[in-house]
Amino acid sequence: MVAGDQSDPVDCLILGAGPGGYVAALRAAQLGRSVTLIERGRVGGVCLNEGCIPSKHLSRFAAAKAAAEKLTSSGMPAFAGVPDMAAFQKSRAAAVGLLVKGVSSLLEAAGVTVITGSARFVGRTRVCVEIGEERVRYFDFKDVVIATGSRALDLDALPFDGERIVEPSRALEWMAVPASLLVVGDDYVALEIAVAYARLGSKVTLAGLRERLLPGFDRDLSAAAQRGAHTAGVEVLLSSDPSAQARQADRVVVSAGRRANVDALDLSAAGLTAPSTLFKVDPQLRLDRHVFAIGDVTEGLPLAHRAMMQGRVVGDVLGGKAGAFDSRAIPRAVFAEPEVASVGMTEAEAQSAGVEISIGRFPLAALGRAVIESATAGFAKLIFAMDGGALLGAHLAGPRSTELVAEMALALEMGATAEDLALTIHAHPTFAESLMEAAEVSLGRPVHVRLPKK
Amino acid sequence: MAKFEFRLPDIGEGLAEAEVAKWLVSVGDRVTEDQPVVEMMTDKASVELPSPGAGVVVEQRVAEGDVVKTGAVLYVLETETQIGAATGYQAAGAEAVARPAAASAAVPAGAGILAPPAVRKLARDLGVDLATVKGSGPGGRISAKDVERHAAGVNTSPTTGEVGGEPSSIPLGAGQRVRLRGVHKRMAETMALSARTIPHVTGFHELDAGAFADLAARLRRGAESRGARFPFDTLLVRAVAIALRRHPIFNASLDEARGEIVMHEELNVGVATATPEGLIVPVVKHADTLELDRLAAEVDRVSSAAREGKTAVSDVQGGTFTISNTGAWRGGYGTSLIRPPEVALVAFGRIEEKAVVRDGTVVARSMMPMSVTFDHRVIDGEAGLSFALTIRSLIEDPRQLDEH
Repeated sequence: MVAGDQSDPVDCLILGAGPGGYVAALRAAQLGRSVTLIERGRVGGVCLNEGCIPSKHLSRFAAAKAAAEKLTSSGMPAFAGVPDMAAFQKSRAAAVGLLVKGVSSLLEAAGVTVITGSARFVGRTRVCVEIGEERVRYFDFKDVVIATGSRALDLDALPFDGERIVEPSRALEWMAVPASLLVVGDDYVALEIAVAYARLGSKVTLAGLRERLLPGFDRDLSAAAQRGAHTAGVEVLLSSDPSAQARQADRVVVSAGRRANVDALDLSAAGLTAPSTLFKVDPQLRLDRHVFAIGDVTEGLPLAHRAMMQGRVVGDVLGGKAGAFDSRAIPRAVFAEPEVASVGMTEAEAQSAGVEISIGRFPLAALGRAVIESATAGFAKLIFAMDGGALLGAHLAGPRSTELVAEMALALEMGATAEDLALTIHAHPTFAESLMEAAEVSLGRPVHVRLPKK
Repeated sequence: MAKFEFRLPDIGEGLAEAEVAKWLVSVGDRVTEDQPVVEMMTDKASVELPSPGAGVVVEQRVAEGDVVKTGAVLYVLETETQIGAATGYQAAGAEAVARPAAASAAVPAGAGILAPPAVRKLARDLGVDLATVKGSGPGGRISAKDVERHAAGVNTSPTTGEVGGEPSSIPLGAGQRVRLRGVHKRMAETMALSARTIPHVTGFHELDAGAFADLAARLRRGAESRGARFPFDTLLVRAVAIALRRHPIFNASLDEARGEIVMHEELNVGVATATPEGLIVPVVKHADTLELDRLAAEVDRVSSAAREGKTAVSDVQGGTFTISNTGAWRGGYGTSLIRPPEVALVAFGRIEEKAVVRDGTVVARSMMPMSVTFDHRVIDGEAGLSFALTIRSLIEDPRQLDEH
């Protein structure tokens, strides 16, 4: 603390207005707390401005082109010309702008004070916020929520130059499709960008650093993603050293993981220990009596929807409610070829946990809807506990998987069993039927596929 | 295989330490995620700490009875997968126990506790630990009704077998059920041990406590004029401490294994105190050597802290003798249970005017009931009476209490 500095007392201070921070602000305000939200960029954070929203916009743009091309064999006129990326970027920016404005007006309506600046701790209950180049303000808080998110990591061999070698967010802003593109990485971010640009006409190489795509997902999904990427025209390399390819590609995108934004917070000034990588928090998202952390700075998957739920929980806790972050199901959605989604335990996780399981696997080839859409390569793979039949995990590959996984997340949270799913009528003809059918397979009584003879 | 060191999390109320009450598993045991591994005792409650994941307990770093600090390694778990989620605190001072999250991305090992989100919220709102609720649905799924029944004290799990011991003619399934927990559970265990192992003898004595009450009132007024406090129990502690010095067999323990009586050098008097959480016995250390003012301050400190539920673990440890003053509740005589490993206990009742005969005349005197209970394995009847007589003389002629 600098002597003589004026500080403003605030009630709840939230650092970062990404999907975790702004949700926490809205919920805490809803419950009567007075909230001040500090954000160095635009509200919505990486997710809204340069992550989830624009990347899915790009994926959708590319997928529409691929779908139209696929229909030419069914009589649809052939797709003519090349995509107008400048026009796309305009509509992307408009969509982002609309959503940012929406969040801003929600915050305003809730009476949340939003301050644009970068915060750092200067005491146990005090932060200093740098506003622009010149101004500095101090705030004394009762409670603080660290929701500062994360940033993309580069590789020593391929440092970001902002031009040719870029982080994934920059690849969403290109005004032209590169003739050749190297995507380095094996996570969903790398996969989505690779598939999108391949569909848009780029010659894409996806150079995975590890032995499979989507590490951490069920192996069957990794295999489906690899086959699908190939179908979309992506050359997939695994366990690769991308340095050589990087020299030849017009553009290089590196998705090598993310790092929590905590270094600049000066945590020691608040008497807190900076984590080596990520904060461990309790179910109330607490680090200390009046210090909370949510989102990508906490241990767990760096996903917007996880941060949003943590934001609601921390808002509840700040509002004096008995909140706890105890979600069993954190779905993961990958917008590639095919769409891939997952929630709960993988087969390998269930095995290493020593749980006896029953797997129900239903191929989309046996599904009317999939035949209509010429999308028969996918599947639904559901994992149930042998004892009691509760759903433990769901792994989906195929169109709309990213939507279908919501039903699986609900089933997991509700403790639904294979019987529950098998006995729930799913509309025909939809991809959702695959979930009911997979449950029937696990129960050994499918009617739409033949069981292997014993 | 990965090794995971389980550290004592901050278990609340700013406590920096806790006592290892009981190991619930042995080295070499396989545990599942969330299975209770060790029971820790704090001033107000015993807390069962669940395993953060599935694995084998390969090492216990602390023994039962050890007092360990927050952050100390309690045991080492060998797991098949890396345990990456919350198992402790970055900083001290947090309020709740970290409930370790799952090792995998989302769902805990096995089906775990099956309860829909709305039921989990209900459980939080009602303060119900779902781990203690037996689900009535398929696969053990817990319903809102299960939680409500549990909160109402109706345990849906069949625990008849655990009530243990003698078969009862009363069907145990009937009636309301309240789960034993925390201080209450500790009391149940300690008192059962006491009743099972100690042959209790209690003698009743009526003391003429008029002068004692006057002295207590005078000392209280004096303290108050200095802005200090002088709890009534101070003089009782003082009287007992002096008597214990004269009768060291009452300030002792029985080491049954070695067939020896251990006379304690320290003289630490516990004062049974009713708290919202239950009965606890904060200890006045070195009660025999403290100046009267210091003693009063110490009695005041430990009993106030206890009533406010802020007793430090160190303040309930090390007792060598216990007194119980039931006067505030108009208590009279009573048989008490000794707190092992102590060997005796004195209970005082309310001082009330009674008609007594003095020099052939019936007069009203302020009389105080006193019940002296001792362990007949260690102390015989004569020693018991002799100890009571010493306290009687100290209370009936209380000048000696003020002299130190």
